[in-house]
Amino acid sequence: MAAGPYNYSYIFKYIIIGDMGVGKSCLLHQFTEKKFMADCPHTIGVEFGTRIIEVSGQKIKLQIWDTAGQERFRAVTRSYYRGAAGALMVYDITRRSTYNHLSSWLTDARNLTNPNTVIFLIGNKSDLEAQRDVTYEEAKQFADENGLIGDNVEDAFLDTAKRIYQNIQDGSLDLNAAESGVQHKPAQPRAALNNDQVPTDKGCQCATV
Amino acid sequence: MEIILNDTVDPKDLRNFRHQYEDQCGRGVPSEKAQFEYAICLVRSKPEMDVKHGIALLEDLCKRTHDSDTKRDCLYYLALGNTRIKFYEAALRYCDAFLKIEPQNHQVRDLQMHAKKKLRNEGLTGMAIVGGAALAIGGLIGMGVAMAKK
Repeated sequence: MAAGPYNYSYIFKYIIIGDMGVGKSCLLHQFTEKKFMADCPHTIGVEFGTRIIEVSGQKIKLQIWDTAGQERFRAVTRSYYRGAAGALMVYDITRRSTYNHLSSWLTDARNLTNPNTVIFLIGNKSDLEAQRDVTYEEAKQFADENGLIGDNVEDAFLDTAKRIYQNIQDGSLDLNAAESGVQHKPAQPRAALNNDQVPTDKGCQCATV
Repeated sequence: MEIILNDTVDPKDLRNFRHQYEDQCGRGVPSEKAQFEYAICLVRSKPEMDVKHGIALLEDLCKRTHDSDTKRDCLYYLALGNTRIKFYEAALRYCDAFLKIEPQNHQVRDLQMHAKKKLRNEGLTGMAIVGGAALAIGGLIGMGVAMAKK
């Protein structure tokens, strides 16, 4: 059955979080518009973007809320965490302070989302290898200790969706829960659950670069 | 743009930020942070009265702050709030003021485009109403003439 570009079975809510200037909005633009923005001004409040992706033959619409990293918006943007199915937590590999603040972003993400929310860690600006201030190994260790995943930008968005989709399939994510961050498109019949999938391990589900 | 404009604040959040702001007002001049947080929740609230209150707080903050980033962010929310209550001309003035500082900002350019489109559509609707009224009056006169002839 050929599905048009606007036919999708699920809507997943994502949030992008992290310090100011780590490139959250650039990630959003790169993913939703496939355009690289060399100079992104500081986001005011929140920005919004969407893209339809495909996971296991199912079309999924990602609704992505990109939050401002400035401290002045921290308290207000916390309300966007609610009901997120996926959270992309970003730091800048050339600025150690942005990496050091991850635990505080992770605390917010854990406290304000539901236990099934997939958290993905992204070490951005990897093209600036010469100025690297955080090694891959230590970020990997941080991710492993906190049960987090990751790779390039495209993978960050897609792998997060795959995890969420797996959670739906193995029944660990209750779509009827108010804050699951996933909506099943009512106009379409519910997709048959593919039980061949290997269930994901429970607990924290995060990713790293 | 519609999604951002239709995105409303959680009443619980609005209450919390109001308490914080009012607490500080009770003790003297509220901090810029408390006023900013409360104001941007108000402009994202549903009742028009809240949005107007938020706009007043942002205008006040914009005048009293010495921080250029605060001023910039206030201008954006003033444009957003005015767009939400359909005060498109005011919204466009704030967009222009913002774009003088940061001409390439796409958040503000999107908002400006939206407000311009709405203003133009309103103008067309207004003209259609006037045009419709003229036709109706014309019709009545025509009927009167026809009846007089009978």
